[in-house]
This record gives sequence, structure tokens and C-alpha cells, in this order.
Amino acid sequence: MTRRAPGGAMAAEARLAWRLGRGADRREWWRAALTAAGAASATGIAQTAVALGSLRGQYHVSVGGGLLDRPGERAGVVLTLLLLLVPVLGFLGQCARVGAVHRDRRLAGLRLAGATPAQVRRIAALETGPACLLGSLLATAASAMVLPRLWSAPAPAGWAGLALVALAVPVLGTAVAVLALRRLVASPLGWVRRVRPRGGRGARYAGGLLLVLLSVLAAVCGARGRLPLAVCALVVAVGAGTVWLAGGTARLAGRLVARRARTAAALIAAERLRDDPWAAARTHAAVLLVTVVGTGFVGVRQALLADLHRMRRDHRLGMPMAFYTTGIALAGAAVLVALAITLCGLAVGTAESLADRRRSLAAQIAAGVPRAVLGRALLLETALPLLPAVVLAGAGGMAIGTWYAALTGPGVVVPYAALLVPVLVYGCCLAAAATALPLLRRSARPAELRYA
Amino acid sequence: MNHRGDTMTDDGGSPAPLLAGRGLVKAHGRTPALRGASIALGAGEILAVTGPSGSGKSTLLHLLAGIVRPDEGSVTYAGQRLDRLPEQRLTELRRTDFGVVFQFGQLIPELTAVDNVGLPLLLAGASRAEARRRAGEWLERFGVRGQEELRPGELSGGQAQRVALARALVTGPEVVFADEPTGALDSLAGEQVMTALARTAREAGTAVLLITHDAQVAAYADREVRLSDGLVLPAEVAA
Repeated sequence: MTRRAPGGAMAAEARLAWRLGRGADRREWWRAALTAAGAASATGIAQTAVALGSLRGQYHVSVGGGLLDRPGERAGVVLTLLLLLVPVLGFLGQCARVGAVHRDRRLAGLRLAGATPAQVRRIAALETGPACLLGSLLATAASAMVLPRLWSAPAPAGWAGLALVALAVPVLGTAVAVLALRRLVASPLGWVRRVRPRGGRGARYAGGLLLVLLSVLAAVCGARGRLPLAVCALVVAVGAGTVWLAGGTARLAGRLVARRARTAAALIAAERLRDDPWAAARTHAAVLLVTVVGTGFVGVRQALLADLHRMRRDHRLGMPMAFYTTGIALAGAAVLVALAITLCGLAVGTAESLADRRRSLAAQIAAGVPRAVLGRALLLETALPLLPAVVLAGAGGMAIGTWYAALTGPGVVVPYAALLVPVLVYGCCLAAAATALPLLRRSARPAELRYA
Repeated sequence: MNHRGDTMTDDGGSPAPLLAGRGLVKAHGRTPALRGASIALGAGEILAVTGPSGSGKSTLLHLLAGIVRPDEGSVTYAGQRLDRLPEQRLTELRRTDFGVVFQFGQLIPELTAVDNVGLPLLLAGASRAEARRRAGEWLERFGVRGQEELRPGELSGGQAQRVALARALVTGPEVVFADEPTGALDSLAGEQVMTALARTAREAGTAVLLITHDAQVAAYADREVRLSDGLVLPAEVAA
């Protein structure tokens, strides 16, 4: 037996990955297109943040109505862009998981054909990497054309930052795809199983410690008057805590409903949640973060506008009112963009969950389970865990808004308008999940029963 | 709907079949699966359909169970044309009058054994407690006692298949469609499953359409028909 040189082996794996991609069905091309779109969005947002972050002192930027000219406001915009990266990266991760079950089977087939676990991981990376690279290159090309027009005499450090982002996003996307395989055991006998993550006591303590540190940071920054940093730390702390809570509430909701379920749809949904609460928690993580940020933003906006009006009355405003309201409107737009991206991720995740189970669903339909029951179960899988989690996230956002109002205003004013945000987010999530329902008819076809 | 004991008679007083497919034609894309197959199943009869891979056995089952509609030909169940019924009515019929068992995949992985078996009863409007009670009785009949709260992934292949049989029979169907029910099992587990299926079907007077390529499994049937290239072979050829 001749041993191939490492470079030759990699080329052979790349060729194999290319052949697998070419022979794949439409789902695989959807995955590639969505992954490229996610990578392009992440690259574009990160490059804009890097470009703005590389500017020093007073600078004239031809867009943004003067909001990007001064370092203070620019830092706020950079922070907003970085926060926007969270749902975008979540979306990218969700897209990388599209077709996971079929990819798992394909990789098991490769193991059966003699591929080593390392080769399987490299092939999986080569399947995802090019899509990320394509998206990143498209976004970089757009940045290279647009940014120099808005930004006179760009600094070399800025260009270096753009190049770094262009490389980092595909590397990150590929790493996510490979990490998704870490719990996959593909045996040389061709069977596949997923190993359940077991959160050890250490992980729980580390998570708790992180939450405490973030809360302390928020308190210290708030006391020192560094409000943007304090708000940011609090948003992340509440968001992380809520994500952690999402799994717990999903498990609890599953347990409670499974015990009392009187309908088939509720029973199926509840048992699915009880069986794997973290699957739902992962998908809903970005939803909760957007709920916290959105609710917090509406509360902060109300307090901030009241403060600005007071300052204008007292002739203490340093800039025209429109300058501040434009900034607030832009921040609101960023929250809406984050919500839209999150909803796309949720719709993709729901459709993916349906596609993964299509043979089992086809068997249920063949056995006489009405499609309507399976559709309701699918919606309940989103509705049940999200309800307590969104309520908690909304409460976190309300706490941020009320706290900010207390810091800036004459007394404690509860921003009740912010209560609408969790309600709207919840409704939008159900609508996003419902977009997958037409797939139930198309995916769970009797033809699925012809294949083992 | 329950038609047991009231099957009509056609010419000459011979009992009309409970379920019949006549001149069934079905293609998957450009590949013909059935090319004019005709078959009849009497009430309470256990009929084995055998034949090599690709002969159209599973497609025949899907057509007779109303899961798929034929391109040509007719499927008649208790005097009514299944191929003309709307999808909603077919779904209801599959839930009330038919039971289906596949090689694997019909159990919901997240539900416990007892909830899987009780699901058709729950769908039919039974209370959760009643569904679980009756499901427990059926599990006991199939020798899966003590495993009620386990999920399909925690059961052995043979146990899971007996749970699937219990689920197919829990509503007291007229016909059970079994597509290679022992295909994924070893010979001992396969024997246990077939013994349980044949015994329960005979006790309850349930007709069984059994798809298999295994002669030992086909031996549990009252009658055997052989399928080849999408056609049912005449009895003398099959023999």
C-alpha cells in the first residue's frame, strides 16, 4: 500500500467533498446558499465595525448625518454593530446545521468506506468552508468598493482589519461545522449516533461565575457613569442568563405539559421538549437575546428621549435634537434587523427539524395521524418553551429600561410601552415557525416510506 | 367504521373480498412499480405477498392502504372505492379501520412505549388515562410488560416491533398492513413478532396483508401470492 503525501490526501478529500456537493440534492444547495448569505452578512457587519473602529478622533464620514464623525457616537455605533453580529452568527450556525441528519448519514457512509474520523471532519469542513468563503469574498468586494468612497484616506490598520475579518468569518463558519460534529460518533460499521451533551458541575459553576462577573461589571460601570458599557454588560448578562434558562424552562414546560397533555399534538410536542430541551434552547437563544435587547431598547429610548427633552428645555443640548433622534432611530433599526435575522434563523431551524424527521412523519401520516395534528405539534414545539422564556427575557429587558430610567430621570418610571416587545416577538416567532408548515405536506410524502 | 361480519357477496354467493385491488398500475417517475396487479384479501385472512426486491410489494401495500393513489386501476375496501376518497377521509380510515407496521420508523422516538400505543386512541378522542390503560393492556398481550415507560430507542428491535404491532392493533382495525415487519430483526425476535401478530389477528378476526421476502415469515399466512415485475403471478406459476 502506498502512502499519499499530506497535500495529495487533502486534494483528494477536497475533490471528494466537491463530488459530494455536486451529487447532493436541492437541500444541500439551499444550505450552501444560506450559509453564504449568513457569512456575507457577518463579514459586512464586522468589516463596517472594524472600519469605524479604526478611525481616530474627529473625522468626516459622508453618511450617518454626522453620527459617525465624533469618537463617542462612533463607539456606540460600533457596539451596536457588534451586538448585531450575535444573531447573524446564530443564523450562520443554524444554516451550517441544515441537512445535518443527511450529512451525518453521508459521513457514516464514508466511515464505512474506510475514512478515518479526522478525514470525515476535514471533508465536513471542506463542505462548509467554500460557501462561507464565497459569502465572505462577496461582502469584502462590496466593502472594498463602498468604504473608500465614504472614508477618505483609509489607514493601513483599517485595511488589515478588513482582510482579517474576510479570513476570520470563513474560518469561524468552518469551525462551527466541525464543532457540530464533535458529538457525532460515526462508526466504521456505518451507524451514526449523537452523544448528548452533559453539562458538568464545572460548566454550571463557570456559567454562574460569568453571570456574576457581568453583573458586577454592569454595577461598577453604572456607578462610574459609563452607561453604554454598563448597559452592554447588563444586556449580555441578562441574555446569557436567559439562554441558560431557556433550556430549563423548555424541560420544565415539557415535563408539565407531557404529564397533563390531553391531545395528541400537545403530547408529541411536550415529549419532544422533554427528550431534548437543549435543541429548542439553542434555536431560541437569539430570540431571547433580541427580546432582552428590544425590550431594553424601548425602555431606554423612552427614558433617553425624556432626558433629551428636559435638556433641550434647559438649553443644555450640545447638538441639534435630530442628531440624537437619528441615532436612536438607527439603533431601533438595528434591533429590527436583528429580529428579522433571528426570525429567519428560527424559520430555517423549524424547517430543518421537519426535514430531518420526514420519514418518521411520513410513517405517522401513513398510520392515520392527521397532518393537522403534526402541524400543531410542530407549532407547539416552538410555542411551549418560548412562552416562559420570552416572558423572562422581557422581564430582563424591562429591568434594564427601568434601571436606565431611574439613573437618568428624576424618579423611577416604568416604561410600559416596552411590554409590547415580548408579545410582538412571540407572535412573530410563531408566524416564523408556521412558515415551515407547508413543508410538512411536501416533505412527509409517502415516497419517503420506500427508503429505509 | 366497523365492517366485521358484514362483507357483501358478489356473483354466486361467494364472499366478496374485504379489500381488493384491480388492475393496479403505479410508476415512480419513469420506473414502473406495478403494471396491472390485481389482488384480493378476505375478512380475517392472513395473506402474504412475496417477491424479489423491486417487484412492487411495498408499492402494492401503499396503494391498498390508501397511502398512495394508483395511476390506473381501483382499490375497493368494504364496497367503497378508496382511490376516490378525499385525503381527510383516507387518513381517518387508516386510523380507524387499518393498522400499519413497517420495518422500522413508525414509532415516535420521543414518546414512551405506552404513549406510542395509546396515540391512535388519543386521536380518536379517548382520554389520556383511558388511552394509557388500554395501551398497557395491549403491551401486556405482546409481552412488553415492564417496558411501558421506555422510549423506542431504549427497546430492543424485537420489543420495538411488538410495540408497533400493539399500536397497529389497539384500535381494533379490520386490516393490518405489515411491510417486512421482521426485516430488521434476528430470527428469534422475528419469530416472536410473527407469532404475536398471527395469534392476535386470528383471535380478533383481523385481516393481515403481509409483505415479506422471507419464506419462514410467509409460512404464517393462510395464503401466499407472488409478485414479479409489478404483476401478481398466477397461483400455478407462483407454486
